Amino acid sequence: MSEPILHITGLNKTFGPVHVLHDIDLDVRAGEVTALVGDNGAGKSTLVKCIAGIHGADSGTVEFQGKPVHIRSPKDAAELGIEVVYQDLALADNLDIVQNMFLGRERGSSWLLDEASMEKAARETLASLSVRTVKSVRTPVSALSGGQRQTVAIAKSVLWDSKVVLLDEPTAALGVAQTRQVLDLVRRLAEQGLGVVLISHNMADVFEVADRIAVLYLGRMVAEVHTKDVTHGQVVELITAGRSGDIGLARPEHAVL
Amino acid sequence: MTSTPVSRPDEVRRYNRSSLLRLLHVGGPVTRARLATELGLNRSTIKTLVDGLAEAGVVEERVPRPGRGAGRPSLLVLPQPQAAVVLAVDIQVEHVAIALVGLGGLILGRNSWNLHRRTREPGEVITHVLESTSLLAADLDLTPVACGISVPGVVRRADGRVHEAPNLRWSDVALGSRMSGALDVPVVVGNDAELGALAEYLRGTARGTSDLVFVSADIGVGGGVIAQGAPLRGASGFLGELGHMIVHPGGRPCYCGNIGCWETEIGESALRTALSLPATSPRGAIIVELRELGADPVASVKVLGEFAEWLTLGLVNVVNLFGPEQVVLGDLFAALPPVILEQVSDEVRKRSMVSRAVGGVRIGKSSLGADVKLLGAAEAAFEGVLDSV
Repeated sequence: MSEPILHITGLNKTFGPVHVLHDIDLDVRAGEVTALVGDNGAGKSTLVKCIAGIHGADSGTVEFQGKPVHIRSPKDAAELGIEVVYQDLALADNLDIVQNMFLGRERGSSWLLDEASMEKAARETLASLSVRTVKSVRTPVSALSGGQRQTVAIAKSVLWDSKVVLLDEPTAALGVAQTRQVLDLVRRLAEQGLGVVLISHNMADVFEVADRIAVLYLGRMVAEVHTKDVTHGQVVELITAGRSGDIGLARPEHAVL
Repeated sequence: MTSTPVSRPDEVRRYNRSSLLRLLHVGGPVTRARLATELGLNRSTIKTLVDGLAEAGVVEERVPRPGRGAGRPSLLVLPQPQAAVVLAVDIQVEHVAIALVGLGGLILGRNSWNLHRRTREPGEVITHVLESTSLLAADLDLTPVACGISVPGVVRRADGRVHEAPNLRWSDVALGSRMSGALDVPVVVGNDAELGALAEYLRGTARGTSDLVFVSADIGVGGGVIAQGAPLRGASGFLGELGHMIVHPGGRPCYCGNIGCWETEIGESALRTALSLPATSPRGAIIVELRELGADPVASVKVLGEFAEWLTLGLVNVVNLFGPEQVVLGDLFAALPPVILEQVSDEVRKRSMVSRAVGGVRIGKSSLGADVKLLGAAEAAFEGVLDSV
């Protein structure tokens, strides 16, 4: 097969007069980590938000598991099995781990929540990822470290049996030691068969976990390459200049304007 | 019955203490009463030992939930993971994983990263392991007291020298001495399949099975053997390479210089070919494909029939050679569709003479998942630690 689980073609997005994304094509494959890299303002976060249903795209098609879909709201995305983890540790501070993992999708009847089954599921999910740094699943999130919060956010996507996880700079707010622990989790998500998209600014991180690198340059997708085939330097050139040797945008003299 | 070669009271106490710790480490929390029966020691001896360990912070005692029986419940003894922490390193061809593992076999923290070209060189790997370890240890506020390393290659047990790890393109690397020099703790280096077998024996599905074979497929295929409760090792610790058993004369050439090794028929690349996946697809993609295939038994047999036949053939040889009670299949094999696993086990039981004699060898997949070698490396490191905690 190697049919991509998420297949995006010709996606465009404008904010008023600003054309942010130009004819973006992107494939996300199950079992692979695809790193999405690019300079500030290249459109990485916008692209993720379009996939997640936060922004509506102006044109373009999205196929999920081979079928065309229309993602109009974050709820549509969640129903398809697309989960997003944001850089700013988007969890509710006043709630505990179980409550956060089930936020908005609680189990039980409308009168009584099934706390026992939710707690069990949360504990089993964390154990399946062999996350043992959290002492109790009833710890309020405000008492967790940055790395632990990000772990909870990622574990949420496993709990909901997601097919695709989009991570928007999951390690931007973390220290070095915690970054590595989160990256380890990201790598193991892919080994469990999920399609993972990782946005990152850190080249070392990208090379440590990604199987494939997609480079955005000024709103255009200039290259999608296997990590094995490229060097650090080439990826940096792609990010800053949009091309490196034969990869990326055509040389200016050949460019069609 | 031979008497134990210990005589002086303090030696007896030390011996009892380390057997008690081993029991807690492998078996998890137990009551004092169970400890007394299992070790065949007096209750007051157990009390003295447990009190000593509790004072040193190695175990914690807790009143268990009231049981059904009459009388005062025996105190539950729980090992404290932080009391003894080892560093486990699992070097694979495409990635490296490290973990700090506490007493009782609990993974307290972990890191991993992919390897490409230059980062696969021994020096780069060692540096990265050391750097990640110090970061992780500082973050968790733990200090490892020993280190176990799993390597997919031929390893000399005595000093941890990697003689040859062809898939990594390593040869003659003094891994053990370089790591122990930098970490300043004892380092055990072992073949990955041997350590996988150890993990299955102590913590996996084959717990307590004294004769077992562990076969796993990464890029290469490896096998580890536990015979009568102890790992089987060849001369000077070089273990047999099951993956290089020749099963197909006139088959595909193998990097080891022979033609038709088992590995060339059932390794990762053979599996990729059988699934008609491109050669660049990563491990996760193979797992996804196998999982999807698992939902359709008819298609599974059609696609993986030949693969299953080669797996069966090799396993028949393995079972006839070692006569294990149980064969544990790890890594990629654990993701094979259930119908294929069933077919392979049935065929092996039918065709192997030894299996027929012992009344049917058990063949099943590993329950430890991708962490099996990491846990094996930790157990190898713990071997020397439990006596001195």
